Amino acid sequence: MFAIVPCVLVVLLAGAPQRGQLDTKDPAIKEFNEHVQKYMDLHKKIERSLPPLDKKESDPAKIVNHQKALSVAIRAARPEAVRGDIFRPDVQPVFLMIIKEQLSSGKGATARAMILGDGNPKSPESPAKVDLSVNAEYPAKAPLSTVPPSVLLSLPRLPDGLEYRFVGRHLILYDGPANLIVDVLPDAIR
Amino acid sequence: MRKFKIPLSVVILFAAFLSHAQEIRLPLENDSLRFAVIGDNGTGDKPEYDIGGKLTAVHAMWPFDFVLMMGDNLYGGEAPRDFQNKFEKPYQALLSSGVKFYATLGNHDDPARQVPYKPFNMGGKHYYTFKPKEGVRFFSLDSNYMDKTQLDWFEKELKSSGSEWKIVFFHHPIYSSGLRHGSNLELRSVLEPLMVKYGVDVVMSGHEHFYERIKAQKNIRYFIVGSSGQLRKRNIGKTALTDKGFDQDNVFMLAMIAGDAMSFQVISRAGQTLNTGGVMWE
Repeated sequence: MFAIVPCVLVVLLAGAPQRGQLDTKDPAIKEFNEHVQKYMDLHKKIERSLPPLDKKESDPAKIVNHQKALSVAIRAARPEAVRGDIFRPDVQPVFLMIIKEQLSSGKGATARAMILGDGNPKSPESPAKVDLSVNAEYPAKAPLSTVPPSVLLSLPRLPDGLEYRFVGRHLILYDGPANLIVDVLPDAIR
Repeated sequence: MRKFKIPLSVVILFAAFLSHAQEIRLPLENDSLRFAVIGDNGTGDKPEYDIGGKLTAVHAMWPFDFVLMMGDNLYGGEAPRDFQNKFEKPYQALLSSGVKFYATLGNHDDPARQVPYKPFNMGGKHYYTFKPKEGVRFFSLDSNYMDKTQLDWFEKELKSSGSEWKIVFFHHPIYSSGLRHGSNLELRSVLEPLMVKYGVDVVMSGHEHFYERIKAQKNIRYFIVGSSGQLRKRNIGKTALTDKGFDQDNVFMLAMIAGDAMSFQVISRAGQTLNTGGVMWE
């Protein structure tokens, strides 16, 4: 009988998330995923209502105009959106913990340099400032931060079109096709 | 004896031809695949235009099929005029001749604007693969955002690509002697195991604003071509990685694959041949 106890423990531990890893069963993560999906449903609905953009478009003006039309329509559809609508208070500690773990692991220094390096819009090389408001347009002249694989592989997976990016030490949820800041998690890197 | 006079205009034209004539050390083999490589080029400044001019001159003598772009295709703004000044104009002659460009995304590039842009031939995707010739396959990755979806796609494509040349290109080098950035160990930890497992032959990157040919690592050859517009002088540190490095002028690369052999030549903005060599398919 005593032999069963270690076996059960091994099974339980094998299923449990490791430090810095995502617990997909966490209700806060489930809720986060639901809010992400809700946003993407809105994005897709609005995109379908616009004249479609050719996936192989030779005229950059048409690409820029389509992006602007999409961002204007999404912004108009969620005028009340505020910080924390998707990065809700319950899920914020989970994100902070994962990022902290990844940036203090063996490769943490490389990951930190990758995030805060010259692709980060807060770096001295960046020619534009980013307005960290929900629904703000991401400035065309500002670079997009590079996000290390270790961090991306640890955070909840996002659907196509939405990305995690950093502005300085703040994590943003970025809608690339619409060039919009969807939500902000301030001081995600501490 | 009657004097034969050469019109002054012909003399000037000939002199201009000689001054632009570029020594190409790669043969023009039948049935070969020929391409050029540029990186970190999209400044819209004179060095980019000079390299564009050199490529045009080379293309007239040694026609290549396409150009690979290592990222940072458009610096500091991506309005329609930026696409013109930093891409369409510097390479106008090549584009008019039907030369295709295949871009990968750098940290200064806006995916939403560049991915659908037809002349970059990304097929509407952040990462993609193409097979320009039987037996040769290229893979372009988005090293700014290497998430699980992309890694799964890369493995699936590598697995199904069979025995052929596998050439992978992405912006951030995973081996580099750069003093500014150096090797990206984060990316190396996720990409190298896949590339070794599935027999990738050559990896090309940019990001570092110089040229570096890395000694073979786990049987994979690495090149950095990141100075076709930008240049960071004296930025190659002393490491055991370097096979050949050059950080004194802007450069581009020419490459040719014929059967089991890939030959390459790296040329500076001044027209100097900096490096030549070959890679054998294994």
